[in-house]
Amino acid sequence: MNARGAVKVEFTPEQLVEVRRLQGLYPDRRAALLPVLQLVQDVFGHISLEAEEYVAGLFDLSPAHVHEVVTFYTLFFREPKGRHVISVCHNLTCHLLGAQQVLTHLKKRLGVEVGGTTPDGRVTLLSVECLCACEIAPMLQVDDRYEGNLSGEKVDRILDGLA
Amino acid sequence: MAEKILTRNFHLPGSHTLALYRETGGYAGLEKALAMKPAEITEAVKRSNLRGLGGAGFPTGVKWGFLPKGHPGPIYLVINADEGEPGTFKDRYLLEKDPHALLEGMIISAYAIGAHVAFVYIRGEYVQPWRIFSRAVAEAYEAGLLGKNIGSSGFDLDVIVHRGAGAYICGEETGLISSLEGKKGWPKLKPPFPAIRGAFGAPTIVNNVETICHVPHIVRRGAEWFASLGTKTQGGTRLYSVSGHVERPGVYELPVSVTLRELVYEHAGGVPHGKRLKAVVPGGSSAALLTADEIDVTLDVDGLRNAGTMAGSAGVIVMDETVSIPEALMVVARFYAHESCGQCTPCRESTGWIYKMTRRIIEGRGRKEDLDTILDVARRGAGTTICAFFDGAVGPYISYIEKFRHEFEALISK
Amino acid sequence: MVKLTIDGKEVEVREGTNIIEAARRLGIEVPHYCYHPGLSIAGQCRLCMVELGNNPRPQIGCNTQVAEGMVVRTDTPKVLETRQSIMEFHLINHPLDCPVCDQAGECWLQIYYMKHGLYEPRMVDEKVHKPKAVPLGSHVILDAERCILCSRCVRFCDEITGTGELGIFDRGDHSEIGLFPGRELANPYSANVIDICPVGALTDRDFRFAVRVWYLDTAKSICPGCSRGCNIEVHVNVRRPHHNQGRRVARLKPRFNAEVNRWWICDAGRYGGKFVDDASRLGAPARGRGEAAIEVGWEEMIPLIASQLRRYRPDEIGVLASPNMANEDLFLLRRLVDHLRLIHVDFRVPPRTPGDEDRILIKADKNANTRGAELIGLGPRPGGLDAHGMLRAARERRIKCLWVFHHDLLASAWPEAEVGEALRAVECFIYQGSNSNGVSTAAHYVLPSAAWVERDGTFTNFEGRVQRFWKAVDPLGLSLADWEILGRIGEAFGLGAPPARAEDCFKALAASAAPFAGLSYRELKDTGKVVAA
Repeated sequence: MNARGAVKVEFTPEQLVEVRRLQGLYPDRRAALLPVLQLVQDVFGHISLEAEEYVAGLFDLSPAHVHEVVTFYTLFFREPKGRHVISVCHNLTCHLLGAQQVLTHLKKRLGVEVGGTTPDGRVTLLSVECLCACEIAPMLQVDDRYEGNLSGEKVDRILDGLA
Repeated sequence: MAEKILTRNFHLPGSHTLALYRETGGYAGLEKALAMKPAEITEAVKRSNLRGLGGAGFPTGVKWGFLPKGHPGPIYLVINADEGEPGTFKDRYLLEKDPHALLEGMIISAYAIGAHVAFVYIRGEYVQPWRIFSRAVAEAYEAGLLGKNIGSSGFDLDVIVHRGAGAYICGEETGLISSLEGKKGWPKLKPPFPAIRGAFGAPTIVNNVETICHVPHIVRRGAEWFASLGTKTQGGTRLYSVSGHVERPGVYELPVSVTLRELVYEHAGGVPHGKRLKAVVPGGSSAALLTADEIDVTLDVDGLRNAGTMAGSAGVIVMDETVSIPEALMVVARFYAHESCGQCTPCRESTGWIYKMTRRIIEGRGRKEDLDTILDVARRGAGTTICAFFDGAVGPYISYIEKFRHEFEALISK
Repeated sequence: MVKLTIDGKEVEVREGTNIIEAARRLGIEVPHYCYHPGLSIAGQCRLCMVELGNNPRPQIGCNTQVAEGMVVRTDTPKVLETRQSIMEFHLINHPLDCPVCDQAGECWLQIYYMKHGLYEPRMVDEKVHKPKAVPLGSHVILDAERCILCSRCVRFCDEITGTGELGIFDRGDHSEIGLFPGRELANPYSANVIDICPVGALTDRDFRFAVRVWYLDTAKSICPGCSRGCNIEVHVNVRRPHHNQGRRVARLKPRFNAEVNRWWICDAGRYGGKFVDDASRLGAPARGRGEAAIEVGWEEMIPLIASQLRRYRPDEIGVLASPNMANEDLFLLRRLVDHLRLIHVDFRVPPRTPGDEDRILIKADKNANTRGAELIGLGPRPGGLDAHGMLRAARERRIKCLWVFHHDLLASAWPEAEVGEALRAVECFIYQGSNSNGVSTAAHYVLPSAAWVERDGTFTNFEGRVQRFWKAVDPLGLSLADWEILGRIGEAFGLGAPPARAEDCFKALAASAAPFAGLSYRELKDTGKVVAA
């Protein structure tokens, strides 16, 4: 732990090899910024300010420019998230087919508002723009997986499957 | 039933494997292409009337023709797999069910334009499609279909799969390039156009997944054959993503001469529960809405343009009579406000403002002048920005209000 | 060269020029926010729309380069309507708080709203809220709600200083400029972002709420902070003396000079003018040391100085000129020195800590006119001592009269004890300068100089560029420009009537010192001339 109360962010030698590989993959190493931030998030769970500074160092960028990137994209988490992330699509087709009810059901079941994480750290609930799986609307993404044609029971089953 | 070209293997188990792709004639187009001159391929693509299927509908061969001739440095091919247009999901199917079709198209296209590195930019949320496609890339390398001296032709190509991180604007080709370069997905000023100065400062062609998947077939079966499948100005079939209030939502591969009525009623089974059709979004959320009376239009680029809307990404969203159009507009306006990249003032400021107005109307706090304000702001903002994002938002802003003004007025007078 | 037509007028400009600059040549203003000639093209504000040929859709002028035969219109109904629309977009989320905004009076939102906006406001919804009054560093304060996200400040830190402290975070209408959390805007040029900010988003911590800008008067000047000689404007407040805590110099601003400083100045120079209104200013001639000091008038002082200078043999007098004196002053001093056949003359005093230097503007030599002193010849005469030698000779009582201009010798690289001993040892110590300092208190005679903003003059920068500066305010108290003091002393020695104006001194300099031959104030214009060095 450091002064800001966060876990120290530093890659292992193996992870650093991967960073160098990614940086070497592109005509300009800066292009590896998104993949490396994805790696940070995979390893540390979220991208803290310390992590942004650390990554800025790996790329010889100013931290402000890394911060611009981290704050621009929705898939970068700047705060610790739950062990699972459920993102309910609220765009047009899902809206037409009951996204609001799915979200209401999830909020009730999890006891959190959109953007919140359950106190046990199990689930973070999000409401997001189109995930491009409108044929199975209403749908959601749970971690890597798309789940569609949702009903109350199906949402319950999904929740039951999350450790 | 029309012949299926891109979706012909979708129903087969293992359609994503190299083995099955080869069994069903895959990579035959590549073999033929590598024996051709690159310029012949570009010519064939021009003659085929293949048009960009990501949204803009620009003729693909013409786009390739913008590259500088005899360019000494690298040229890049970038595949836009940042599918994000609401109502669209066909590229996900292509990535998951037939990744080798995309790869074969990429190799041929790269050969045609003289690129030796190709990037595939896949939206970050598409984890499964990314995994499946990446596996296909690995298979292709192992089989000597990628890397050095492909098929002993002397042609080299490396494919780099790049994942997005959540931003609709990265589907805009220069926003995508910015993002690929490790920056915010801010679209770039044009000129210069990507074909002159694109990714990493090099001439770059950005094409949609589906567009490139067509290329092997054009090479294998001829430009004329492809052109004959469509209309005078647009060749081939295209994948229609149909969702909303239809019996059978899903991806439909049809010639672009199909009508919207045929697509909704014959292919997708019509509106369920005996409900009446109210409106259809024909080309992703950025396309202007068509009312139930306006669906006798062909779904090619020009047909829909003549109908005052656009083919866009061919994402067809069907709304039955129960749908509140003002509420639908609020949902759409929320999307554009959320996804505006913030670079150009007109878009940044008015997407947020218009969303606030639509929300206020839904909440019963609408004012008489709001509707005209939205229409006026949309018209004044149109065409004033770096990219077409705001123009895309204008489609729904104007059409939803103009075609269903009475619904909005009813909410306001309440 | 490329020929094109703008609003029916033909103009010929260099290839690669954009429409905004080409129009400027014709005196046609294409309004803009994000475009800045010293920065890359961003094309974000969308205000500089013009019509090109038959293209029905207006295009931005900043990113459109001229082409032969191009027909541009900046005044069509379509262009005017587009401008008006863009102005409305810029102001949707902008607070309506001009009366309490420090930018009021020099805000391009106000200016362009009056010229190109004038629409009926329609925005009734809650505006987006962002951080306000956030200090970014020692000089700059941010109001993110007033920011129109033109990105000029971001590009400045990326492209000019290369420090990259600023970014635009988040997206959509929540986009905001800022620093990486916990960092500061601390580069040596930070306050330039205030100048290039077209609105009230970035304001000057030193200046804000001190004076309303419409009370300010302006004079062209040269920054005296180092040997670069950056062109500046001095903004003075004399109309509302009760404002700005009585300080007359309200702020220094960069003035464009393509050859010297382009659009920029460093922070050290910008905030280096405080000595002008400092309590340490010397307001009246005085004789007698410490408690015994008595203020006297110039009519009494000039003969006193003349008689002191007559009392000593030329080799008993040391003159330590200052490389911060103007060419005009140095010339009159040189004339006097020659007349009196003084040999111990110098102007170089090494600073205690070597000055910093960079590849942008800042020079290690923190004096405005070292080159001028060199060219005019204020170094030791044959057999004469340099500055350090003079101090030694003073300690050894070989030099009995020492005339020091401006230098605070106690802040030099020389040991304080040595300096102190020398000053105590001399029989006659004359200090001439604008402010009191460690050595002035030891002087038998104090001659108060006007500060550079209180007079006209010229400095010669490190590359030999002679540049004019203009009087912005009256000299404080009885202080006089150094050339005036020297002219009056010269008169006492029969060197003729003192020159009436600084320009007369310069004329005489041009007539007698080879490097300056042929120059005149008129010739120097606003941006100066490089003399053969």
